Formats: sequence, structure tokens, C-alpha cells
Amino acid sequence: MIGTLVGLGILFPIITGLVCLPIKNHKARGGIVYLTAAVLIIVSILVLRQGSVPIEYSPSSSWDSVVLVLNYVILAVFLIVAIRDIARRGVSRHNILTIALTLAAGIPLAVFEFSQAPHAPLEVTPALYIDHLSIIMCLIISIIGSLVCVYAIRYMKDHEEHRVHLGELEGTTQPRFFFFMLMFLGAMNGLVFANNLIWLAFFWEMTTLACWGLIRHDETPIAKTNAFRALWMCLIGSVGFSLAIILLWNGSSDSISLMTVISNGASAGPVLLLPFALLCLAGFTKAAQLPFQSWLLGAMVAPTPVSALLHSSTMVKAGVYLVLRIAPGFQGTHLSTLIAIYGGAVFLATALLAISQSEGKKVLAYSTIGNLGLIMLCAGINTPLAIAVGVMLLIFHAISKGLLFLCAGAIEHHIWSRNIEDMEGIARSLPLLTGITIAGMLSMLVAPFGVLIAKWGAMEAASSIGVWSTLVLVLLMLGSGATTVFWAKWIGRFLCHSPVPGRSKEEPFIPLYHGILLMLITFAVVLSILIAPLYNNIVAPALAEAGYCVTCAFTTGVWFLKSPMGIFAAWPVFIIIALALLVPVFTARAKPEASRSSYMCGENVEMGIDEFVAVADERTKLKTGGFYIENILGEGNLNRFVVPVGIVLLVVLFVVAAI
Amino acid sequence: MNTGWLIGSAVIAVIVSPLIGGLLRGIDRKLTAHMQGRIGPPIIQPFYDVIKLFGKKPMIAGGAQLAFAYAYLALTITAVVFFALRQDLLVVLFILFFGSLCLPIGALSVKSPYSQFGGHRELLQFLAYEPILLLAAIPIALKADGFPIADIFSYGQPLLPDLWITFIALLIALAIIMRKSPFDISGSEHAHQELVRGVVTEYSGPYLALIEIGHWYEMVLLLSILGLLWVTGSLWWLSIIIALGSWFVMLIVDNINARLTWSWMLKFAWGVGIVLVALNILFINLGWM
Repeated sequence: MIGTLVGLGILFPIITGLVCLPIKNHKARGGIVYLTAAVLIIVSILVLRQGSVPIEYSPSSSWDSVVLVLNYVILAVFLIVAIRDIARRGVSRHNILTIALTLAAGIPLAVFEFSQAPHAPLEVTPALYIDHLSIIMCLIISIIGSLVCVYAIRYMKDHEEHRVHLGELEGTTQPRFFFFMLMFLGAMNGLVFANNLIWLAFFWEMTTLACWGLIRHDETPIAKTNAFRALWMCLIGSVGFSLAIILLWNGSSDSISLMTVISNGASAGPVLLLPFALLCLAGFTKAAQLPFQSWLLGAMVAPTPVSALLHSSTMVKAGVYLVLRIAPGFQGTHLSTLIAIYGGAVFLATALLAISQSEGKKVLAYSTIGNLGLIMLCAGINTPLAIAVGVMLLIFHAISKGLLFLCAGAIEHHIWSRNIEDMEGIARSLPLLTGITIAGMLSMLVAPFGVLIAKWGAMEAASSIGVWSTLVLVLLMLGSGATTVFWAKWIGRFLCHSPVPGRSKEEPFIPLYHGILLMLITFAVVLSILIAPLYNNIVAPALAEAGYCVTCAFTTGVWFLKSPMGIFAAWPVFIIIALALLVPVFTARAKPEASRSSYMCGENVEMGIDEFVAVADERTKLKTGGFYIENILGEGNLNRFVVPVGIVLLVVLFVVAAI
Repeated sequence: MNTGWLIGSAVIAVIVSPLIGGLLRGIDRKLTAHMQGRIGPPIIQPFYDVIKLFGKKPMIAGGAQLAFAYAYLALTITAVVFFALRQDLLVVLFILFFGSLCLPIGALSVKSPYSQFGGHRELLQFLAYEPILLLAAIPIALKADGFPIADIFSYGQPLLPDLWITFIALLIALAIIMRKSPFDISGSEHAHQELVRGVVTEYSGPYLALIEIGHWYEMVLLLSILGLLWVTGSLWWLSIIIALGSWFVMLIVDNINARLTWSWMLKFAWGVGIVLVALNILFINLGWM
């Protein structure tokens, strides 16, 4: 049974992705995507319902050879595309670095595998290890990921029609798009199931490949450049991966089984810190932490489902997954403390940078990096409570941010712009879509939603780690304040419109947009209400399997979540806030005749017209705009500090790990 | 503490807080007038004002404005209820922040230059005080060994001797929330400003009354949080003195300062307020306090 499930989870999407490649028919391709989504969702739920978790599973050893070969095939693909890029567009920093880093990742690994290791391929029993942390990731990948792919059926149709209309495109490139999307889902499932580090590295490269292919999808010069930037930055992580594998085998561990390595790390202590730091580096690059954040910002040129799938809800989560996974191996070390400080610095820096962004998707990107930083912070605090909070944040962030990217995509296809200023007042023309978007933003921002419950937990967890907690807490609280500002001002832009007499034109209900968005916002709300059972049923087992004391994290009742330091009365908070908000929404109604023009010193032209009478009785258009404080918080200014700080923190982290 | 008693105290808090808040506003106006050499209105003038506002014709200038006026009041009351139920201090603050956030979002949802200006500035005020309040919860919890307000009550000793540094930072936050000079950048009562009435420019009549009452709750809640610093022991009544004393300090500060810029406010709040609380946390962690 488990063999079938794992096979379906990993191989089925890869195969259907390949099937998509030759299909030009839109409907047939859509059918394949629906089928893959249905299979993946069922598989992930069946995996969750397996009785004896953790599950250990080793497919036949010929698969080890397949992985061995394919790993080098992918690296060869990276070399080829970089060389082709040099041939077509000339030498650039990006393609040269891609070649250099591919070699730096591939050659040591090849030397190790074929000359040092006792035999190639190196087998590990079990090759796959599936515990609750893997299952949580698998559910996120298979459910949210599948929904994003289904949404993409409609999105890519609109997207291509628009590009054809603009004359940027002839024919269709969708087969390639869905190949990468579906193949990516399989790779992610493999990544979270893998126990053999070489397998893990292979699936890691596969996601990097999908990421490169999807960012450059539109094949504009900027898309190609940004795809290469993403590629070489993620390859830094691959170099870290290769070195970690070699160090682990040659060091005290003598094993490349992830589970063995982690339990050895917990008992052997500091000797394994350097390989752990290298694995964390791989996680940091994948999660676009400082100073690697520029690749994720650049990745925003990709079609929006890509941003929702890879760059918020799943692939970047692989980075935090890896760090959370190996956290028990470096518990109580200085490395752990430094990761907490590093995560806090990322959280604050990106929250400030997000205030200065006027492109909606870039705000979402910065917020994603920040929240991943917050999960890194939790992994670094490394107490049972912190890890529990990190896992919960992983779940809730995947839902809410996936939702928000999809909202941004749907809005883009109505107004054909990504600029927040162009979204002024769209609450009037697109009430349902903006309503869902605002609800999604609130689910990232306020009590009693999951993300905030997790933030509450993070604050309580961070207060209990001694002297260094001061710094971590300051970063956390300041970042939290800045987060509020960029969400609130964006919500304000949506809502900013004058009362206009009469009804607005009907917003069409598009099932693949609105339907999926409604589903995701329902997940966010229902899981926030059911936070206690959610914790008990999947988060607590994940903690126990990682060797953490479950009762030291949260104790739960029907209506509350209790940490060692405090209590979150989830249900009462939910009920009272719901009453406080919904009662006025349904009872209070302003009569149309109560509408007035806004105050313009008495010089309004007429009710319902955004104009005022200026000098010489000239009618002048009223304009309003959001604030971005770009002279202070802009990328040009802040990156001068943020990037060096990121580099210094990473260097310190490695120095601490090495000595 | 039995549940019935707690629920009773929550009901009392909901009824009494606006009375205290309104009265404090009245005294505020009277004292300020005296400090400026005027006679000032009677001290129950705020209640007259609110009653009069409720009698006015409702007018709105933006679609979502109405909802946010109600939400501001409702969420602030919710925060007061959770405080009275002696829940987790961080949770109380989060609910309060949700409420406070409704004010700028409501202002930003009107296409009005003055209201937009006020809303954006209110967000900057929020950016200044939110981290101070959240961070200030940490030393309190470290001393009382828990975030629930019930733990602070059962701690048995006054917190102020160990937390006087945090107390100073909380005063800064209080001044920003009460929009007192030099932090009245998003809207002040004095006639000297270019913002008309900043963040509440576009609110009038009954909706302005809702916001006014919400502000009373907010102020009483914050003063109560300051009072937590000396809430147990035989001198528990000192908590009231501390709360009222802090409030009085705000009046003095308001009257001897001019409004300064938003960048100065942020620098001051983060550079002084946050640093003070951080030092307090550090000292507690080092065992010095």
C-alpha cells in the first residue's frame, strides 16, 4: 500500500507532466491537470490516514541508480542552458556563476560518489522516511499545490490570450508550463519523503530546475535573466548540500541517512555543526533569506500561479522544512541561537522593505521571505514550543500566502496591472475578489487567525531563551509592527473610493478563480478555528517524532491552546470577534442618501464626482495615493545595510559552526 | 478566581470604562484650558458632545467607512473584556491592535486628501507604539512568570521596582496612542494644524461618536495595563495612582511640547522606547533585576 502511495505521490505528477508536453489541446491538458490534482489530493489524505507513522520505505535498489544518474543529468542541463545563454546573449554574471556553481556542486559530489564511497550508488535504508512533518508538507504540496495548478488552467489561458493580443506571443507555450508545474509537485513530494541525503539533493535540484523553467516561462529578457539569478543562488545551496554529504560521510557520522545524522547530531554535539550549517545554508538559499532575497523578488516576473506554488506555498517552504527537520540535531548550540537572530533580522528587514514596494507581488514576496525568516527564527529558538509554532506557521502561511498570490493574479487579470496604486477603489468594481483578498490579508495579520496565533507562540517561545532572547524579541516586535503597516495601507488602497450613486457593474463569478479562492480562505478560517485539534492530530505527533517534549509545547482543551507561558482562548476570541465584526456588518446599513463627498474645503464640484474647483474656477481631478517612504525604506537605500548584515550574519554563523 | 466573578468584572468593565474614559477626557480639557489660561468646558462636556453627535444625521463619505467605525469600537471593547477576564496579555494587545488598525483603514477607505493623510500618519503612529507595547509585555511576563493577567495578579509582589525602565517606555507609547504633543501627528484637538482633523476628518455624527467612545475604552485599557505594574500586595491602590499619574504626566507633556515630525517620533519611539524595554529584558535575563 505505502509503496503505491509513494509511487503515485512522486511519479504520477512527473508522468502526467511529461504527458502534457506534446498536448496542444487546451481542454485535454486541463483534464490531465484535474486528474493529477484529484489523485494527489487523495494520495496525500491516504498517507495521512496510514496507521503506523513514521513509515519507512525502500523501493528496489535500482532506483538508487536512477537517482544517481538523473542527478548528474540535471546538473548537465544547468551547464548546457548556461552555455547556450552565453552563446545567445553573451557572457553575464549570471550564466558564468551558474556554470561555476554547477561545477562546484557536481564535481565534489562525483569524486565522492565514484571514488571515496565504498560503492556507487550509496544506498540507505530506508531510502524514504515519512513522519508527520513530511505528511504536513505532503498535504500542503498536494492540496494547495493541486488547487494552484487547477487555477492555472484558467490563468494561463487568460495570460496567453493577453500576450497574443499584445503581440508578444504566437501559438502556445502552455505544455511546457504544465510540465514544469506538475513535475515540480512530484519533486516536492520526493523531497519531503527522502531520507537518503543523495535522494534529497536530487529532488532539491529538480525543484531548482522547475523554478528556473517557470521563471523564464514568458521568455522576455528580464525573465531569462531573473531565472538565471534564481538558478545560481539556489546552486549555492546545492554546493552546501554536496559538501554536507561529504563531510557527514567522512566525519563522525559515516552515514548519509538524514534520520541517523540528526540523531547523531543530537548526541555527538559540536562535531557535526559544520555539515548542519551547510544544510542550513541550502535551506537559506531556497527560502531566499538574506542576502539571497533578490532571486525571489526577480522571480515575480513569472506568471502568478508560479509565484503562488513555488515562491510562497511550497518550494521556498522546502528551505524551512529542511531547517526545521534538522533542528533537533543542533539543539542547544550557538548555531541554533544564531539562526534565531538571523531569522529575526530577515523578518525585520523584509517587513521594512515591503513598506516601500508599490508592486503588489513584490510586497507579497517580501512578506513571504519575512515569514520564512520567522519560521527560521522558531527553528533557531529550538524549544518544543518554538518548533510547534514554526510548523503551524508553515501550514497557515502556505494557505494564506498561496491564497493572496492567487488573488493578486485574479486581480491582475481584471485590471491588467500589478501596481497597488492601480488597485485604488477596486472594492467597488470587484467586491467579491477584493473581499476575499482583504480577508486573506487579515488572516496574515490579526487575531484570531492562525498566522497570528503562531506569532503569539513565537513571542512567548522567544522570551524563554535567556540573554539572547532580548535581541530576537526586539527584531520580532519591530518586524511585527512594520508588517502591520504594509498590509493596512494596501487594504486601504482597495477600499479607497467615493460613494457613487447606483450599483456597480456585476463582477463575473469565475469558478476557477473565485471558487478556488473561496476554498482557500475557508481553509484558513476553519483551520484557525480548529487550531487545537490541528495541533493535537498532526503537529504534536511531528514534534514527538522529532524527539521534542510534546507537553512542553502546547496543552490543549476544546476551546484553548495553552503554552508554558500563556494561554490563547481560541474559541472565545473567535466567537467574540466574529460577533463584534459580523453584527454591525449585517445590521448597520447607511442609507444611500447619507452619502457625501469628502471634505475639500467646500470646493467640491458635485456629489459623486472626484473633482474640486481650483484656481480660476477650473475643475481639477482629485487624486490620492499610498505612501511608500521610498527615500528611507526603498531597496536602493536599505539594501546597502541589509545585504551586508545578511552576509556578516552568515559568516558568523559558519565561523561558530566551524570552531 | 471563580468564573462568575470574572464575568461580572468583565460586565462592570464594559459599563464603567467609558464613564471613566469620558470623565478623564473632560478633566483633560478642563486642566488643559487652565494651563492655557482659559476656563474650559464643564468636565462632563465629552458626554454632552457624544449625545449630541448621536443625534446628528448620519453621513458617510466612503463605502467601508461605517464598518470600520463599528469594528473599532467593538474590537476595543473586546480587548477590554479579555483584559477583565484576565486573559493572556499578548492576546489582549493583539485584539486591541486589530481594533486600533480599524481607525487608519477606515480613514484610508475614503477618497479624501485629508483623511488619507491622517490615515497614513496614524499607521506611522502605530508603527511607533505597537512594538513598544508588545515588547513591554515580555519583562512583565518574565517577572510574573506568565503572560496571563491572572498570573500578574497572583504574583504577589509589585512589578514596578523591577520594571521602572519599561514603565518609562510605556509612557512614551501612551503619549503616542493618546495623540498628545509632541506625538499628535495624525490628528490633534488643537486648532493649529493643517490636517483638519487628521484620521477622523471624514467621520461625523454618530460614527464620530462611536470612535470617541472607542477611544475612551482604549485609553482606560492602556491605563489599566500601566496599573498592572503595582496591582498586588497591600498597596494595590497604588495601581490607580500610577495609572492616573501617568495620565496627568501626559497632559503636562502635551502642553509644554509642540508637535514634531513623524520621523522624529519613529526615531524616538524605536531609539528610546524600544531600547529601554530591551535593556529591562536584558537586565532581567542577566538576573540584575
